[in-house]
Amino acid sequence: MKTQSPDAVSLWIEASREKVKRNGFAEEDLDQLAGLIEQPRQLVLYLYSKSTNMRSPLASWMLFDPTRPQEPALQNDEPPYGSVIEAMADGWRVVQFPVSKLYSYEDVDNDYLGYEFILEKLKRTR
Amino acid sequence: MSIRPTMADDDVMDFVALGYVLLEGVIDEDFNRKCLDLEKGNVDAFVVSDAFTQKVLLHPNVAGSVRSLLGRDFLVPSGGHHHVIEAPFLGQTWHSDGLSGTGYDVTELQCYYYPKAVTIEDGPTMILPGSHCRAVDREAIAHYGDIRGQVSLTVPAGTVAMTRYGIWHKAGPKTSHTRRGMIKFSYHRTASPERDWVIASDEIPAYVDRPRLPYVTEVESYRDRVRRARTWRWLCGQEPESTTRRMQPRTLAEAVAGKGQGPKLDCTTA
Repeated sequence: MKTQSPDAVSLWIEASREKVKRNGFAEEDLDQLAGLIEQPRQLVLYLYSKSTNMRSPLASWMLFDPTRPQEPALQNDEPPYGSVIEAMADGWRVVQFPVSKLYSYEDVDNDYLGYEFILEKLKRTR
Repeated sequence: MSIRPTMADDDVMDFVALGYVLLEGVIDEDFNRKCLDLEKGNVDAFVVSDAFTQKVLLHPNVAGSVRSLLGRDFLVPSGGHHHVIEAPFLGQTWHSDGLSGTGYDVTELQCYYYPKAVTIEDGPTMILPGSHCRAVDREAIAHYGDIRGQVSLTVPAGTVAMTRYGIWHKAGPKTSHTRRGMIKFSYHRTASPERDWVIASDEIPAYVDRPRLPYVTEVESYRDRVRRARTWRWLCGQEPESTTRRMQPRTLAEAVAGKGQGPKLDCTTA
């Protein structure tokens, strides 16, 4: 599946024809094409905010990055962002907002830590 | 055999809020060394041996904390499990054991004994202070990652961590090839709670609330306050707390008479 607009590939073909005519076509041009048609990978970031407000500080966080080897990495006691909105400023897109009705409790019992925002970022590996 | 309690009111209040006690380096080095090559998995026979019973289970500091939190005539472990991790490992996900985590009582202490020092690279056990009364579906929180206020138990050899059964915990990520061992076992209560620890006076103090934990939301901090007071009163053998006790209000007569902690207000001037 192409992930760039057809125009980007068409422009590449057009430019490449000229390069072929001038014997200037190189391996880097194929790398460029590979990048244009590559399916970007989805990074997923769970952020647990201390309220449903995106400016609230965070209670917990977890990044799932399929582009990296799934190897152990040491724990981190500080969150990657101060709030959900700071993550958005860094290019993360919210794909799920917390649904208030799900955060129920009985007497003083509950089973959650914070309000779950799920964010994504698309990443190319080339 | 009489076990003397070692914890005072303040120590027990800390436990009520955090859900664990850490006894660092209390087990002697000679015995720690005897545990280093212990096989992994079920170690019931080793745990009930005279040596383990005397050196660990009935160690004055360990058993003294147990007596303080579970009262006299507590049940001593009759088995245990040796958790061993050797190769690098992504780490476990957060969980509590079994169907634990409900209620406000303290009837079981689950203990982790580390015969060898644990560094941050060794995949230390991680615990979440204050999570011990929070019932959880462990599979539903398997995507939780780092949590503000989490504690990685990087401890010296001979350390025993004692937790209220139900505390959220996990084996942390392990990047080293060093063998990390931990022997897990539990004590149980048989006696009714009656403030069975070191006390300076027979007068039972009101629970003195502890600081809000770093991951806790505003509303959850109020719930924590109620939960902690309930556990404290239960441990002291008192009736459950009512809302009015919690707020310590004055009667109307006391208010009219000007009794209270603050200065009497002069309402005659604007």
